[in-house]
Amino acid sequence: MNVSELIAALPEDDFSSAANAGLAQERIREILADLAQRPVPTGSLHRLWSVSELSAQIALAYLAWWIRQWFSNAEVSKRRQMETNLRVALKLFHRLGYLRGAMAKVGQALGNLPILVPEQVAETLDRLHAESPPMHFPLIREVVRNEFGKGADELFADFDKEAFAAASLGQVHRARLKSGESVAVKIQYPGIARTIDADFRNLSALLLPLRLGKDWESVKGHFEEIRRMLSQEVDYLQEAESTRRARELFRPEDGIVVPNVYSEYSGTRVLTTDYLNGLHLREYLATNPTQASRNAFGTKMYVAWLRMYFACMPYGDPHPGNYLFLPDGRLGLIDFGCVQHYGPEERELTRLADRMSHEDSSLMQEVVRRVCGVSPEDPAFPEYLGMMEQSRDWMLEPDDHPGPFDFGDEAHFQRGLDVTSRVVRNRTMRFHPMYIYWQRSVFGLKALLLRLRAQVDVHEAFRRERLALEHSN
Amino acid sequence: MRITAEAKAETRQRILQTATDLFQSQGWQNTTTREIAITAGIATGTLFNYFPTKEAIVADLIADAMKRAGEGFYAAERDANSLEADLFTLIWSGFSKLREFRNFLGPAMETIFSPLARSSAGSPGDAIRADHLEQVDAIVTTHGFPGPRSVVAVQLYWTLFLGVFAFWVEDDSPGQEDTLALLDRSLSLFVASLGMVDERKTQ
Ligand SMILES: Nc1ncnc2c1ncn2[C@@H]1O[C@H](COP(=O)(O)OP(=O)(O)OP(=O)(O)O)[C@@H](O)[C@H]1O
Repeated sequence: MNVSELIAALPEDDFSSAANAGLAQERIREILADLAQRPVPTGSLHRLWSVSELSAQIALAYLAWWIRQWFSNAEVSKRRQMETNLRVALKLFHRLGYLRGAMAKVGQALGNLPILVPEQVAETLDRLHAESPPMHFPLIREVVRNEFGKGADELFADFDKEAFAAASLGQVHRARLKSGESVAVKIQYPGIARTIDADFRNLSALLLPLRLGKDWESVKGHFEEIRRMLSQEVDYLQEAESTRRARELFRPEDGIVVPNVYSEYSGTRVLTTDYLNGLHLREYLATNPTQASRNAFGTKMYVAWLRMYFACMPYGDPHPGNYLFLPDGRLGLIDFGCVQHYGPEERELTRLADRMSHEDSSLMQEVVRRVCGVSPEDPAFPEYLGMMEQSRDWMLEPDDHPGPFDFGDEAHFQRGLDVTSRVVRNRTMRFHPMYIYWQRSVFGLKALLLRLRAQVDVHEAFRRERLALEHSN
Repeated sequence: MRITAEAKAETRQRILQTATDLFQSQGWQNTTTREIAITAGIATGTLFNYFPTKEAIVADLIADAMKRAGEGFYAAERDANSLEADLFTLIWSGFSKLREFRNFLGPAMETIFSPLARSSAGSPGDAIRADHLEQVDAIVTTHGFPGPRSVVAVQLYWTLFLGVFAFWVEDDSPGQEDTLALLDRSLSLFVASLGMVDERKTQ
């Protein structure tokens, strides 16, 4: 896959129009025919299920592909047995995944891991993003009543009955509080959160006995990390807390806004924040912005990302739906569902990797040992060392560059993809689970900056953020 | 002595109240009609004049809740809602009115709505079915699907409705959110099936 295809494949950030949905469905159909080698169901009844159904199939086809990699070295008889177990597990999982959104969410999470997922599949999963069928108002009313004991029409001064945006597991409505503030109310489809959790637990229970070779411990860790992050993402109380913490990181002079959370109007399934009136990336680009404007926004995106990383709460999901371009030049940052909160171990690894990158490259062996859990005696050690060196070099390209770095340079992005495909090809895929989301975060940000064709003085941003950090410590 | 209509209504109300109290405090299985009569301070024979069985008492509660849900539906100011949204409102409002009785509805329903029982006109389950289907039919008609409904469409609806009802009775998810989802999906299915029948007609 080349870079222009990749750009085209970035998720659409508007509330999916019928035409878009139709196109995406077409595309899914093609890919599925390819992947699952069976016809995709049509007809009105099937259409009803199609979104969750199709994404479930894609997620499954992908899972099968991924997992099969792990036993390709086993003996034939053993492999056959594993294949059977796997098929049973997937069938069961498929049945569990019938609820709308649950599988789509799982699939989406997988699709956002460029290190693991074939690009074609990732693209499709991305497109499924904003397509969960809308909830009608009587249902919304009951979900809100469950949280607050009052329906949405009683709780708010005004409540728009039509959603203005889709969320991955629900939808977002505009409303006005009785105190006058204009807010965005994100509402989750009932029951989804518990389904996802149960599905994931079942899947791990089924896969556990397969024990897929020496990398299994690592795979298990990755799995657990995805499960943990998904259950965090579906809990809006946790998202509220992350949003509050993120909001504290930014000052007015940064020109970066994180909306205020209204706790009295937020719960596990409902999240109420200040409404930010801004453009999505695609709409912004359609206004033919100047290079200076693009650079300014790009720099804000980069600074926001860096600051959260330095605060040990990296932004796990930089995708176009989560950035708003405000008319006064400020950047709005929303959706903190997918924010990691590093504990002591992750913090230490981060410091170690930073020192390797910026101060002492002889720490590389130590990093491989700690991050990948591969010791120098391991025959795979040289492979891992090579992989680590390439990743570091790619990461540092923008930082080493004197003056503004042009993220619109496709070659840079392509090199990152090459490094990643090498990782998959050489199967140097043992690494600390924290890097699952970190990878997604880095690629997400760079893909956005590429699309924005922004030039960012990374070196300077880095220097200032580091200085600010040292001051605050 | 002639018993006035008011006195009749009053007795009926007392029986319903006593019975629900007993069902709630000691369970459906453990309550006998005799006990209900004694607690209500009437003769067992008198009780039978009002309700021939325990099930008839519960059926009355259900019928009443659904009737009030129907009245509430037309009384409330409604937005230009979809068919799914209207049916959802009607059904969920019926459930809400029955919420306090949830712990004993299950065992009673097994008898009242047994899918295997020969339907006999005039049985309490049948009356509820007929009334509810009439409400649903009226709503479906206002959304541009004129009757008469096919037997299959009606049975599909009723099967889904009973399934959701039975699920709701046992649903211990927070706020019965699983029932919310199940009802939403079931209604989508039903409405899609109306469309399908239509499509087939025009082909
Ligand atoms: N405070 C806000 N102000 C303006 N628009 C908002 C706000 N919050 C959400 N939105 C709109 O709703 C969309 C979805 O919100 P959000 O990204 O929080 O949902 P999500 O379910 O976490 O999405 P996903 O997981 O798919 O990224 C956003 O892309 C944006 O258009």
